[in-house]
Amino acid sequence: MSRDWGSAEDVCLGEQTFRLCCEEFIQHSRSINDEWDWEHSQGSEDGYMKKILLKAANGSTPPAWDDQRNVQGEKGELELEAQHGVYEELEDPGAGCSITTGPEMTRYEYHVVYSSSYQSPVLYFRACKLDGRPLSLEEIWERVHDNYKDRLLQGPWDTITQQEHPLLGQPFFILHPCRTHEFMTPIIQAAKEENRHLNVITAWLSMVGPVVGLALPISYATAASKHKTAPD
Amino acid sequence: MADDKDVLRDVWFGRIPTSFTLYQDEITEREADPYYLLLPRVSYLTLVTDKVKKHFQKVMKQEDMGEMWLEYEGTPLKWHYPIGLLFDLHASNTALPWNITVHFKNFPEKDLLHCTSNYVIEAHFMSCIKEADALKHKGQVINEMQKKDHKQLWMGLQNDKFDQFWAINRKLMEYSVEEGGFRYIPFRIYQTTSDRPFIQKLFRPVTAEGQTHTLGDLLKEMFSAAVTPDDGEKKYQVVIHGIEPVLETPLQWLSEHLSYPDNFLHISVIPMPTD
Repeated sequence: MSRDWGSAEDVCLGEQTFRLCCEEFIQHSRSINDEWDWEHSQGSEDGYMKKILLKAANGSTPPAWDDQRNVQGEKGELELEAQHGVYEELEDPGAGCSITTGPEMTRYEYHVVYSSSYQSPVLYFRACKLDGRPLSLEEIWERVHDNYKDRLLQGPWDTITQQEHPLLGQPFFILHPCRTHEFMTPIIQAAKEENRHLNVITAWLSMVGPVVGLALPISYATAASKHKTAPD
Repeated sequence: MADDKDVLRDVWFGRIPTSFTLYQDEITEREADPYYLLLPRVSYLTLVTDKVKKHFQKVMKQEDMGEMWLEYEGTPLKWHYPIGLLFDLHASNTALPWNITVHFKNFPEKDLLHCTSNYVIEAHFMSCIKEADALKHKGQVINEMQKKDHKQLWMGLQNDKFDQFWAINRKLMEYSVEEGGFRYIPFRIYQTTSDRPFIQKLFRPVTAEGQTHTLGDLLKEMFSAAVTPDDGEKKYQVVIHGIEPVLETPLQWLSEHLSYPDNFLHISVIPMPTD
């Protein structure tokens, strides 16, 4: 298992940059009602980005939501999951929306947390049925699309494991962060060379999110490219 | 005066006398006696409690036995924390033996990670070692090792083989003279009074000007309440492996000698005992 980490040095994501990127990301999220928010860790300045999603297995989407899907389609949402028939994404029923609570409904919770050890973001996630029963690792694994499974099975450091959330102390699942630099480095280098603003969080989340059922509407990328000044 | 290498042995061979009692609501075919064990401070609960499971298996039906989990005074014990850390954090100033309660039902999904096989423990252990090396050497030392070296670290821990473990671990404790120490020190500071499980941040063992950082410097930066002011009353004990190191101890030395096998310094900050 020999990897050259030397090149990772210049593409480390400092904690300051992480926060700035998250701020920018959440700003855009609010403008499109994508429901990402910043959560503060109790009694400290640390925090993380959080989003909750309700999903149903494909085929059991209540008819009332068809219009929602069309609206999201117009926004150019990445419909990887829909195409592969894994999940239809539904919005968290906020105020006044009635939704069929069938046995297949699952509540997903995603956190974007900063790792100072790897100087990169890490995606923590957990899922439970509406009765509170948490999904097991096997059940999470079942829901990963086959294409991604091949990639995940290639090495012990790429797989999904259960891990304690560093700020909440509760069990979550993660995609191990030690290889983040490998796929992020070329993306960051390219943006530098082309003098193009890049929100590292947006780029990173668009890569890892879909593996675990989290899609990013394309408007995040177009919003980022409108920024004139890149955060350091 | 103990040789530095003796410190490594003392840390490795530390033991905690423990009694395991079955939770009263578990369904048994006859009364279950407590089971006594000397637990290695540097190991993990699920790695060393097979005998505990077998002992209680004798008085229970297989269908009444789900995944075993352990608890101390109502607090589920996180198997992925080293045993010595759990003891220092939860039972430091109580009488021995450490009384742990054994459960086979109602696994606390919100508190504990599942541990379905030794491979899960190995993966967790290696993941900690990798993270520690990312901090110390940007991961260069661990990534240049062969798979069999990684395996030797794990087997050394699993089989309680000090020499086998340290034959490889000594490489993870090296640094160049110019650097004066590791890049950053792998540490975690724990306390029971906060929701946050631990404090872990970047901290250098030596300043840019060449000054050595001490344990006291680390605490002042990360958890200032743990450092007693000159004219104040001591409110906390700072414990590693059951001892309170002097705050002037260089952090680099602590990292090389008092780290757990996962290469992290796990530091407990506990309130002063009231008696």
